[in-house]
Amino acid sequence: MTPASTEALDLVFAALADPTRRAILARLAAGEATVNELVAPSDLSQPPVSKHLRVLERAGLVSRGRDAQFRPVRLEAAPLAGAAQWLGDYRRFWAESLDRLDTYVKELKRKEGRRVSKRKQR
Amino acid sequence: MSANASSGEAIADREVVITRTYDVPARLLFEAWSKPEHLMKWFGPVGWPLTLCEVDFRKGGRFRFAMTGPSGEQNQPFGGEYLEIVPNRKIVFDNAFEAPGSEKMIMTITFDEKGGKTLLTYHTLFASAVMKREYVGMGFAEGAGSGLDQLAAVVAAMKTV
Repeated sequence: MTPASTEALDLVFAALADPTRRAILARLAAGEATVNELVAPSDLSQPPVSKHLRVLERAGLVSRGRDAQFRPVRLEAAPLAGAAQWLGDYRRFWAESLDRLDTYVKELKRKEGRRVSKRKQR
Repeated sequence: MSANASSGEAIADREVVITRTYDVPARLLFEAWSKPEHLMKWFGPVGWPLTLCEVDFRKGGRFRFAMTGPSGEQNQPFGGEYLEIVPNRKIVFDNAFEAPGSEKMIMTITFDEKGGKTLLTYHTLFASAVMKREYVGMGFAEGAGSGLDQLAAVVAAMKTV
């Protein structure tokens, strides 16, 4: 899992900052749905729901099927996982530590390489 | 492996697994995990360096760490015991904050080297599902608002990512 970019996270959190959109995502977690199916349980008419879907789509949280007539909406989990990773302190702790470890061991490897090539030169 | 035999909770509800591949041999990563002079260079998030790092790196030996945040105040020390050490392959230790009633987690770090690259698996087993939620979900409770609880459950159900 690669850390999400800041811009991508901004879009995800903006998209999540609305109860209707969260309800839509929770509904989609149970399986894909058409716009009509999403409109039914909400108190909204279709245009606002479509508007919410566009926000979710821009954040990469949902995708639309190709079927021109129904275009079922599907939940896309990857950006959510990125957001959860950012939110979950424990995972964030390790993500940052392990980035630092990566940089550090590469440096160790480089130093080791230098020592080896010096020895070879002698 | 059982951190808390009385807890009948499924392992999956108590564990967190993080994997990473590094472009270095396993022995360098093992080294970075086993000595204070290395640990102090990388352990902890950005802005939270280790300012206490005592390590008795042998089976049954103990470690004691503490980090200092941007406020300049040292945080609660934490530490535990090395339960198993297999050079360049595996390190197992338990870990808890030095506070009364603080629950333990068990961390198993495995080093899997292939063609000069090493896959590290960081497996954490929390004492209970509640403890896991406290650690993994802390950010949710702090700033994100209760509406995200539902989504946390959604994400948890999507382990495939």
